[in-house]
Amino acid sequence: MRPILLQGHERALTQIRYTKDGDILFSTAKDQVICAWFSANGERLGTYHGHQGALWTVDVDPTTTLLASGAADNTVRLWDVRTGKCIKVWDFNTAVKRVEFSEDGTQLLAVTEKRMGFLGTIVVLDIDPDVNAEQSDEKKLTITCDESKATVAGWSYLSKYIIAGHEDGSVSQYDAKNGEIIDNVQAHEPDMPVTDLQWAPDRTYLITSSKDKTAKVLSARNLEVLKTYVADTPLNTAAITPKKDFVILGGGQAAMDVTTTSSRQGKFEARFYHKVFEDEIGRVKGHFGPLNTIAVDPQGRGYASGGEDGYVRVHQFDQGYFDFLYEVEREQARK
Amino acid sequence: QDRIEEDKERGAVVEERRRLLSEWLAWRERETEDLEDERRELGLDAGRGDVEKKEEAEEGKKVVE
Repeated sequence: MRPILLQGHERALTQIRYTKDGDILFSTAKDQVICAWFSANGERLGTYHGHQGALWTVDVDPTTTLLASGAADNTVRLWDVRTGKCIKVWDFNTAVKRVEFSEDGTQLLAVTEKRMGFLGTIVVLDIDPDVNAEQSDEKKLTITCDESKATVAGWSYLSKYIIAGHEDGSVSQYDAKNGEIIDNVQAHEPDMPVTDLQWAPDRTYLITSSKDKTAKVLSARNLEVLKTYVADTPLNTAAITPKKDFVILGGGQAAMDVTTTSSRQGKFEARFYHKVFEDEIGRVKGHFGPLNTIAVDPQGRGYASGGEDGYVRVHQFDQGYFDFLYEVEREQARK
Repeated sequence: QDRIEEDKERGAVVEERRRLLSEWLAWRERETEDLEDERRELGLDAGRGDVEKKEEAEEGKKVVE
């Protein structure tokens, strides 16, 4: 699994997202520029300029027409993927930490930061998928998180629920139509923030990662914790692989002796676990700092990781990855 | 004697994995069915569901050949 190193960002990576066909990936970092790359060869396709603060989050719609981003400049921006033009700006009172398009691309959610005088919120915006359309200014729905601010959030299957991870380690389920809270579970250790939330392909279940050194798979329907993956380091990100029953976790604590290590290879690792059996099955080294974000190609061909070191590493899975099966899985396949 | 103990342990691990896998597959099957039902109720059969079904049907054909 020889990675392609994407050099273009000057600061720590914050999020990576693939297009639905997996051909392009978008990355954000604290350096205020969004980058688009070809996932096959790592060539930079373009950049999106306009934000006036660190970029925290990015997402692309299901048809690769519109790109959304959120930043420390208290705005959400909508971009024409093809031309790189900013076509809409929504202003908020605080930084925007996470954006995500709904499954059909007609809605966008934005998670806003808590700050003196402002509670954290999850805001829903209506999106017209037509790139030439006038987008609505209106914030269709605002969910206020008065218990504990949301750190991450996303849309379930059929855009039925909004599921959010919170600073206090809990996960909430909201009715996506009216914003009412349906359920809240303490999925992670109390006061250990949820750092990432990503979906299975059909969005009936999701994975969360936390500073409590675990990642969990939860049912979107009832927030039941189905699986737990235990790591030995605080986690910043977790993703579910299509095609194979794996999950990939990333994190790490910035080591004090980083400058004294002579090794040329970065020691920070992406960790592969078996989704069903919860065992760790492998690690991929390479980054020189904690992994902040991992994204998986929706077509299942590879994954990309973004580090505190400012690099994106794109990996294509090799045959060994696809062939790997537990004996009981072979047994099941023969049935 | 040690080998017998080892084999026993290995057997228990395999048995546990078998249970986890069948539980997971059963849960996935229920979820997939529930999702299909909800799609149908919402009149979304014409959407993604159909495309997937068509793909499945084509895959099915391949098997027959």
